[in-house]
This record gives sequence, C-alpha cells and structure tokens, in this order.
Amino acid sequence: MRLFILIFAFCLTSSVHAELRYELQPQPLAEGVWLLEGSMANFDKANGGNIVNTGFIVTDSGVVVIDSGPSRRYGEAMREAIARVTDRPIIKVLLTHHHPDHVLGNQAFADVPIAALAGTTELLREQGNAMAENMYRLVGDWMRGTEVVLPTESVATGTLEVGGRTLRLLALRGHTGADLAILDERSGVLFAGDILFYQRALTTPNSPGLDVWLADLDTLQALPWKRLVAGHGPVADDAAPFAQMRDYLGWLDGLLRDSAASGADMNEVIQSPIPERFAGISLTRYELIRSVSHLYPRYEADALGRVDQ
Amino acid sequence: MSVRILLLLIALQGQAVLAADADPLQSVMWEYHHKGLLNGEPYVFDERVQVQVPPFAEDSRQVPIHVDARALGDEVVRIEAWADLNPIPRIFTFVPGNQVLPLVAIRIRVEQATPVRAAVLTRDGVWHVGSARVDAAGGGCTAPSVVRAQPGWEDRLGEVIGGRFARGDFSRLRLQVSHPMDNGLVGGIPEFFLNQAELRAADGQVLAALELYPAVAENPSLSLEVKGEQDTRLWLRDNNGNEFEAAL
Repeated sequence: MRLFILIFAFCLTSSVHAELRYELQPQPLAEGVWLLEGSMANFDKANGGNIVNTGFIVTDSGVVVIDSGPSRRYGEAMREAIARVTDRPIIKVLLTHHHPDHVLGNQAFADVPIAALAGTTELLREQGNAMAENMYRLVGDWMRGTEVVLPTESVATGTLEVGGRTLRLLALRGHTGADLAILDERSGVLFAGDILFYQRALTTPNSPGLDVWLADLDTLQALPWKRLVAGHGPVADDAAPFAQMRDYLGWLDGLLRDSAASGADMNEVIQSPIPERFAGISLTRYELIRSVSHLYPRYEADALGRVDQ
Repeated sequence: MSVRILLLLIALQGQAVLAADADPLQSVMWEYHHKGLLNGEPYVFDERVQVQVPPFAEDSRQVPIHVDARALGDEVVRIEAWADLNPIPRIFTFVPGNQVLPLVAIRIRVEQATPVRAAVLTRDGVWHVGSARVDAAGGGCTAPSVVRAQPGWEDRLGEVIGGRFARGDFSRLRLQVSHPMDNGLVGGIPEFFLNQAELRAADGQVLAALELYPAVAENPSLSLEVKGEQDTRLWLRDNNGNEFEAAL
C-alpha cells in the first residue's frame, strides 16, 4: 500500500512538472525566409499562446527576426529553432506591433537590437504590463518569467539594407495605430503583421478605425509581393487574404453602423447573425464580442445627438 | 443498512429538496444579497427575467448589461439589479410605472468575474430573479478614471447625447451622459456619481424613476422603452446636487 501511494504521489508531481514546450518547426517560404506558424485558436493553456505567425530572414550578415512571440519561453524556443536551420548570429528583431502575442518573447533577444515603430514602443510602454498580466491569466504557466522588454531602436517607413538584402518597411495604422509591415524585396515575401488576418477573425482592441484599416490594405496590396504572411492564419500566394479582409471589415463596419442607427444595445449587437460566407473563419463570434466593446461606442456617438438643455 | 447511513440518506434527500430553490449560479453571495437587497422576501428564480451580459468582459470598466422583464408584463413593480461579487454590488433600482417597459440596458464596472442579477418585484410581493455570469480579468471598479484623464471633462459634465428609435408600439430612448461616476474606490477621488434619474412626460408627470449606484460605468449609457411617441424629458441629479435635463 505504501508503495502504491508513493507511486501515485510521484505520478502527481511528475505531471505537475511536465515541461511545457513549444514545438516550433521553421517552414521555408523562400531562400533564406522562414515562417513559424501558430495555431488559429484563441489564447489557451493548451497552446501557450502560440497563435501567432512569426518569422525570420537569414541574410549574409546574420538573422533578422520578425516578432518574438507570446512568452519568454517562446522566444527561447524560437532561438533554438533558428539555430537548427542556420549558424549565423541573430542581429536584429523587428516587431510588427505591440500586442502581447508578438512581443513578449523579447527577453530571449535582449542581446540584440529590438526595433519597432516609435508608436509601438509608446503603446507597449503604456499597455505592456496589463497585457502581460492578462496573458498569465489566459495561458498560465507558459508565461513563467515573462516580462515586458521595450524596443531599443525605432524604425520608420523606408528601406533597411541588411546583409545584402533589402527589407522595405511600411508604417501603417489600421490594427493598432502603429503597425509595421515588412517586404523582403528579393523573395517578395510580405510579412503583413496583423494588418492581415486570414481564416482567423481580426482583432480590434486598438484600431483607430476600420476605414483606416481598409486604406492600409490598399497600400499593402499595391506592393510587389509574391507570398503573403498574415499575422494569423495560413500563408497565401494570391490576393485571397486581402479580399477576405475587405469583405469582413466591410461587414463589421456595416453591422455596427446599422445597429447604432436602429438603436441596438451592445448585447443585441453581439448576438447578430454572422454571414454564412465567414463560416470558415475561426473565432468570429468571440472577436465580434470584443470588437463591439472596442468600436461600438464610436458608432453610437455618431448615431446620437446632443439632447441636454 | 446501518442507522448512520440511513440518517445520511435522509439528510441528502433534504438537501435535494432545498436545492430546487437554490441559486442556479451557486454564488456564495446569493443569501447575503437576498437578505440585504430583497429584505429576505419571497423569491423565485425565473427565466422570464432575462439578464444578458457578454460571456466575458472585454473591458471591465464598461460591461453592457441588458435586463428585460417584459414577459412579466404589467405585474412589475420594481427592479433591483446588482453584481454579486462587486465591491459596490448595486447597479440600479428601477420603478417603470405603466407607461414604461420593464427593460433597462446600462453599462457597469466589474471588479472580477461575477454573477449579475435582476430581481423583479411583482404585485403579489414575490421577487422574480434572473441571472447571468460574466467572466472578467477584472479591476474595473478600481481602475483610474478615463473621464478624468481627458482635459476639459468638467466643462462637459452633464452633457447628454441621445436618440429615439421606433420599436413597434414603443420608442426606445437611448442616451449617454458625460459624468465620471466616481465610486470612491480610486485613491484620492471621493464619490461623485449620478444617483437619481426620472423619465418625465412633457407635463412633468413622472413616468419612471431610476436610482443609480456607482457600479454604473463612467459616462453612463442608458436605454429605456416608453409607450407610444410621447415627448419625454430625462431629469438627472448627482450626489453633489448637480441637476441635468435632456429632451427625448
């Protein structure tokens, strides 16, 4: 009996200490351009917050990392994954925007310059700790030891010449107010950040407005891209992600406008039917609930007039 | 079967009978609020009282709740709404009168995940209780004021935006009042909140009365429904004695 209890206790403790590991498999997108594809689910203790696409570009002088992932542990796993495909050193991290799934792996890259738009650094300074706390709540122990590390360099629209490659940088605004997109000119791979979501519902917590976002899509689509890497969702070689984004943003904008014009309350709007054509997109209801909280007050204010006397 | 097991079975049986009237959300605070807010008066949990909340609070400072007791018709005397686990649980007390529907949409702060309740007193003296649970990261009651961070907020105090929307035989009145609704839980800022509202007819007759508590979010949003297309005025007063009025 005592032996049984001992074995039982051992099983308990070993399951508690089972190591959490991100299984990151770099996928080649073009010569020297790699993707680490996340799931299209929501933040969860089952995925450790790995719901995001990150990437890296191997240049002659070293590796440029694009986004650092949702946790310190992810950042460390990313470094190991990069080391499996190249022995060149990491020389720079570019952050597409300040959301936690894209930047909380920064600690693993504290020895290299971490670059972002100035607006991204400001937003991360303001909101980083609160977002990190919420990540601990959502994904638990995967976050252990994770702290916000602010970018150390700022970038702007222009080109970045690095190790024989030209990276075209675009400062956009539609998703967070400070969104960086990166086009590798040699391969035509476009890392669109969260300006593009594909087959996964877009998120709006810091969006300055859906009209701004729609304009950014035009800017991106006009670039000489060959492959599209959305912030979330599968890689595409055609313009389908742009078409889906325009369709979805247009529907969301119309829904919020019509709801406000008819006097609907928030709880009524979040129960609105979601068109059948978006059935293949994950998390539409969940993200509608969030977007109503973020955006509906502006549509309400537009639909209401001054009535005080 | 031993006597002890028999006694245990009887005890379990008794619990099962009690459980028929038990809180569907099994909140530790139900008995407390039943005593404190409903004076321990008779109650039933009643699905005809609909409380709608989002499944989770995206913004714990602005959580929309929608209370609808229209299924109880003209029997409604008063509605009490509260959030079980809030440091300031009470949200509003609503006396709709016979020209106004027993329906209120409003936004609140939540400090943590909590059941939200609406108890509807009918003419027979029974409280009909509807419930919903909202998950939340929390902190909405103690977060720094958003309104007070905006320059010039004092000048906008009491400004009301609103509109009237046709809803069949009724009109929905929607409005939002500029007010910080300080609840006294944020360091150095004493309570300063709208605590009274009346919907009045053009001739001044009170159509519905609403008491508000500082669980209500900053810049309160409110939706009510009134019979017909009559002109109405909303009168508001805060705990500092400022009065505001809007025509809808």
